[in-house]
Amino acid sequence: MAAALQLPSYLDQSPEVAARFERLRQRPVALEVSGLTKTFETTRGTVTALSDVSFSVHKREFMCVIGPSGCGKSTLARVLAGLEAPTSGDVRVYGQPVSGPGPDRGMVFQSYTLFPWQTVKQNVMFGPLMAGASRNSAESEARQWIELVGLTKFENAYPQQLSGGMKQRVAIARALANQPRVLFMDEPFGALDAQTRCQMQSHLLDIWKNVDITIVFITHDLDEAVFLSDRILVLDPHPGRVREMIEVPVPRPRHNDQLFEPSFMAVRKHIDNLIHPPGQEHHKESPVLRLVARDPDIV
Amino acid sequence: MRPLASLFKGWFLIRRDLSSSRRLFLSAVSFVLPLALWCLVSYVDWIWHPDIKLQLSSEREGNSTVFTAGDHISPGYYQEMVVATRAENTRLLASTPPPKSSKRANQKLLRQLAPVAISHDWLPYTEAQNDAAIYHLWRDIATGTKIPTDPALTPENLDIVKKNWAQLAPLTADFSLASLPETPLLKLIPQGLPANPVYLPAPHEVWRSGWRDFKAVPPEGELSMTQRYQHSLRVILLGFFWACVVGVPIGILCGVFDFFSKLFEPFVDFFRYMPAPTFSTLLVAVLLAGDAPKIALVFIGTVFQMILVVSKTTRLLDPSLLEAAQTLGASPKQMLTRVVIPGILPNLYNDLRILLGWAWTWLVIAELIGVKSGLTEFIETQGRFRNFDRVFPVIILIGVTGFVTDQILSWLHGIIFPWTGRGNPIAQTFIRFLFWPFRQISKLSDRAGTPT
Ligand SMILES: Nc1ncnc2c1ncn2[C@@H]1O[C@H](COP(=O)(O)OP(=O)(O)OP(=O)(O)O)[C@@H](O)[C@H]1O
Ligand SMILES: [Mg+2]
Repeated sequence: MAAALQLPSYLDQSPEVAARFERLRQRPVALEVSGLTKTFETTRGTVTALSDVSFSVHKREFMCVIGPSGCGKSTLARVLAGLEAPTSGDVRVYGQPVSGPGPDRGMVFQSYTLFPWQTVKQNVMFGPLMAGASRNSAESEARQWIELVGLTKFENAYPQQLSGGMKQRVAIARALANQPRVLFMDEPFGALDAQTRCQMQSHLLDIWKNVDITIVFITHDLDEAVFLSDRILVLDPHPGRVREMIEVPVPRPRHNDQLFEPSFMAVRKHIDNLIHPPGQEHHKESPVLRLVARDPDIV
Repeated sequence: MRPLASLFKGWFLIRRDLSSSRRLFLSAVSFVLPLALWCLVSYVDWIWHPDIKLQLSSEREGNSTVFTAGDHISPGYYQEMVVATRAENTRLLASTPPPKSSKRANQKLLRQLAPVAISHDWLPYTEAQNDAAIYHLWRDIATGTKIPTDPALTPENLDIVKKNWAQLAPLTADFSLASLPETPLLKLIPQGLPANPVYLPAPHEVWRSGWRDFKAVPPEGELSMTQRYQHSLRVILLGFFWACVVGVPIGILCGVFDFFSKLFEPFVDFFRYMPAPTFSTLLVAVLLAGDAPKIALVFIGTVFQMILVVSKTTRLLDPSLLEAAQTLGASPKQMLTRVVIPGILPNLYNDLRILLGWAWTWLVIAELIGVKSGLTEFIETQGRFRNFDRVFPVIILIGVTGFVTDQILSWLHGIIFPWTGRGNPIAQTFIRFLFWPFRQISKLSDRAGTPT
């Protein structure tokens, strides 16, 4: 068994993958973050959520941000979307500095945040209507996005009547209907069950393929990060800072079988080690809780 | 055996809903139970009944306190009355020659039967002194043409009626004061039944009085019950309407903008602790008589609570919805009109429902200030005369109005806000039908606004 697990280095890239990354680097920069620091003033003193975070994302790239809980992933997404102002440093989208929320940057939240009083169609129409589109054109546009996420049958349903996965698809359609240039997604599939999450991942990749969009995807799920992204930004906690930017050597198009490819396993293992450094896991037995005699089969 | 046993199982489950049939059953019981209790206390004599309610009264010699049929007296005093009246009759029969009496005293004595006639509807209650009719009644009862049943006369009294009629019949067939005998007639012995105190009339009495009061054509210059009811409704609705007009926008502004919250809420919070009724004299002085001070009182009583409640409801709106709207490009104004207002509407509706319930409390006080009016005036007047059987119907009417309004509004909630409940197809069709004109208008205006 041990012999089979001789993994390649996560830095090894096949010539095709290396060439693709080279081409990606030639693309214009969609999102540029430099020296981003965010601190919160609380009653217990100053909390530094992000410290000197810098990175850039190229046009149509799919980037994941991963890190342990509390490392500032959500804070990063909120700053990028303009919902929070950075303490220092700046964020640029296609060269334009970000100074507040705007329709050029879409956001999908873990909690769906659909408007419960609007039907699926009305939710998706929201962005175009705010931008001043007529009801008719907003409606036909909304239909198109709803079809893209496969909810045409439910366009007149209220969010309350939908499952979690369907709600998140509506949220994605709603964000896309605005035709943003960058889409931020903060653990969008975090609340879904494993099966649905898997479907949603493939679905998201399909959408990404067909829509002119750059995606920054926040997650704490290793498989999800590796499966979806071109590059993975690993954050360190307390304070949140960039640990490493990893290029995923798994070739595209992605499919579920790749989960067991050596290159996939190699990246996954590497990130796992970054987030949960070996030797720090505790293997201590808890003698207090041992209420039954030792069972050789249950260990 | 088994189905019967399952009937008693599962009524008490911690934080579990009962089946809908059981819920309906219990809801019915919650009304039937107090009603049954009321009936029990009213109709089962040995439960309470500390008083005697007179059905037939008599005046006694040398006693200035006059009781009439319908009055409540203590059982001890009732016994005293019966014994004394009998003694008077015995003395009268024993004395020879019979003592002299005034014809007027005899006329008064004849009227003793009037309450019996009224309770049988042989006489309208305004005709208690119609001596001609009462005289014929003595004849009819003595000859057995009319047999009183409610109340029935005791054999003793029936005997007295016959004896008296034997004296009267030879003198005149129709009533005339001049032809009444010079000697005293026999007095009817007081009759009464055990009864609860006046403040707890029996259900049928309440029903009867209520029915009569609502059907009655009022004397010139007085309001009928329906008019009073309409007047009360008008005061409460107008007061509440103005409270909404002022309170809802301010409440929403306070909930959305910290500026308005800090500007208004401290004072509102202070003001609402000053009881609205304390302003009544001021309101009457400023707004004079009429409905204005009453409406103003309902307004003052409601509006300050409303501002605070609405601002709290507004603040409870999920802030992430506002953030989502921002990332979708909504301007501050659009966030207010497209997110905040539709988002709080279902809760706002419920708040207003509860506040409308409170407004009824203020209505009762409002109707007492200045010139008394509406249902409350009726309650006041009748209560003062201790006519509680006429007070209760009005109190119950107010309760029923509030309850029914609230039930209807709560039912409408599901129709107006279909997204808050499970999709109800009937409600959705209804709402689509209801909003059809608005949709057409908005479509037209969209078309007009589209550049071609
Ligand atoms: N509004 C705030 N006020 C004070 N501290 C905050 C605030 N928002 C976030 N923080 C702090 O910033 C740090 C990062 O929080 P953040 O929510 O970004 O973490 P996260 O990586 O998204 O965690 P998770 O994976 O659990 O969602 C935490 O220590 C948190 O306590
Ligand atoms: Mg988070």
